[in-house]
Amino acid sequence: MAIHTGQSIAHKDPRQRGPFARGGRRSLLGYCFVAPLLLWLAATILYPLGSAVVLSVQDVQIIGTRGTFVGLENYLRLLSNHNFWQAFGRSVVWVLGNALLQTLAAFAAALILNQRFPGQRFARIWIILSWIVPTVVVVILWRWLLSSSGVLNYLLLGTGLWTEPVGFFSTANAATLSVIAINSWRWFPFMAVTVLAALQSIPSDLQEAAAVDGANAQQRFWQITLPLLQPVLFVLGLVGTLLSFNVFDVIWLLTGGGPSNATTTLPVLIYDTAFAQYRLSQAAAISVVSGLALLLFAALFIRFMSPAQEDEP
Amino acid sequence: MTTRIRHRSILAIGLLGLFLVVVAPFYYVATSSFKLPQEVIAQVPTLFPQSFTLQHYEKLLRSSNFPTYLANSMLVAAGTMGICVTLSTLAAYGLYRMQLPAGKFLFRIILVTYAFPGVLLLIPLYGLLSQLGLVDRLVALVIVNVTFTAPFAVWMLRAFFTAIPGELEEAAALDGATRAQTLIRVVLPLAAPGVASVAIFAFIMAWTEYMFASVLILSDAARPVPVGLAGIIGQYQVDWGLLLAGATVTMLPVLILFSLVGRYFVEGLTAGAVK
Repeated sequence: MAIHTGQSIAHKDPRQRGPFARGGRRSLLGYCFVAPLLLWLAATILYPLGSAVVLSVQDVQIIGTRGTFVGLENYLRLLSNHNFWQAFGRSVVWVLGNALLQTLAAFAAALILNQRFPGQRFARIWIILSWIVPTVVVVILWRWLLSSSGVLNYLLLGTGLWTEPVGFFSTANAATLSVIAINSWRWFPFMAVTVLAALQSIPSDLQEAAAVDGANAQQRFWQITLPLLQPVLFVLGLVGTLLSFNVFDVIWLLTGGGPSNATTTLPVLIYDTAFAQYRLSQAAAISVVSGLALLLFAALFIRFMSPAQEDEP
Repeated sequence: MTTRIRHRSILAIGLLGLFLVVVAPFYYVATSSFKLPQEVIAQVPTLFPQSFTLQHYEKLLRSSNFPTYLANSMLVAAGTMGICVTLSTLAAYGLYRMQLPAGKFLFRIILVTYAFPGVLLLIPLYGLLSQLGLVDRLVALVIVNVTFTAPFAVWMLRAFFTAIPGELEEAAALDGATRAQTLIRVVLPLAAPGVASVAIFAFIMAWTEYMFASVLILSDAARPVPVGLAGIIGQYQVDWGLLLAGATVTMLPVLILFSLVGRYFVEGLTAGAVK
């Protein structure tokens, strides 16, 4: 059940020991295999990360120009900046809203796909469709379906409960809900296939034994299935939060951060500050603060949500 | 018996719901891209096209820069795929098939980079690439895309690599094969489904990427599809027929690739998380 045990299993299993199992030359060769990727990541993640910090204590406006050292000025300006805190709050709402919607949709989908039905293999693969399709396609699709003369408004007006078309992006609340719903629609299959795979790794005799003991479907879900899913849910909660914080393109292409900044989350603010307002150092400071906030979140999440017993040796 | 019927009908309703939510929108987009303009924007939507035309596609391919965008995206996706597959397979072989003392530690580092929010690197990566003179060059997009696909690719490969029995490598070694030969002749063919899903993953991610492309690419002639198509969205009065045709063409390569190796892809996607 543990998530990171691939290595430890390999260590214990003598069959997995390669033929070159002795000597330091073997290790050296092994590191040579891993090195290209590590160097690549160091050059494109680690180094830029450092230069973001450097940039954030300067006053660079446009890329390519030289800045002077201004200390923590950008950070101090941020902390007293209303827009920054609002974007921060919106990112929290964004992440929580996505987590809630995606969890509900993913569990529903996974439980359905876990049943036997004709075409089940096919369905378990193609469920991922909305996740693999390019964002720009997702954006065009939903802008069209949700436009004032679009299909959804046609159906809503048809019910007679609405008398005029709903503006899905016209008010702050509507736009927030719409972008969260659309992003969840895009991402829930990713979570659904992961949960489904975890469901299928649960031995069926456990369920059967519980059924024999008189547990109904609901009890079985809460007392057997869910606890066994905990390790997977832990990873999904952590990784999902980081990945959904990161979402920029869906929001930007749907609303541009509007109306009146209502959907300007931190990624949108970073982009806008750097490439529309041309305040690069300020944007770098926002990136650094966001990174620290996520780091804090990850640390707390790992500390308090980590599955009770990691069966790692 | 009644519970069985109830169970069946709940399942049927659930499946129908999933189909409506996931597949139906794409059907509607694809079919509508062949409708005449007046039908596309008609008050009453039509589930089955009442008219047929290729005019939106003609406009897309003749009077916009879309073909250029397509070619650019193909280059970027192919480049990303090649480099990502190479780097991640090598790393996966080192991590999963050779018991490195620091293997676990390195594996963790790569895992961390996979969940790393790329937007935090937007500013400094832009800075780095512009220092290198790569702004407005497709190679910049390849570099960025490899960074954000390779860590997950290593993760995807784990289940495929650890499943290969060690005896096969031993046999190859006894026959006098070197490490590199063993990797290419023995391990890679056995891990082929994994390598294929990684390749598709890299292609799809590169094909989709918008954020970095929108700031790194300045000239219209170097734009990849997402940026080019997003530009068309805001260009004129919204021409839905044109946009739907653009959306359909844009998702086509992804759908074709996915229909070839979708099974392995989903397997690879989930195998890492569920051990």
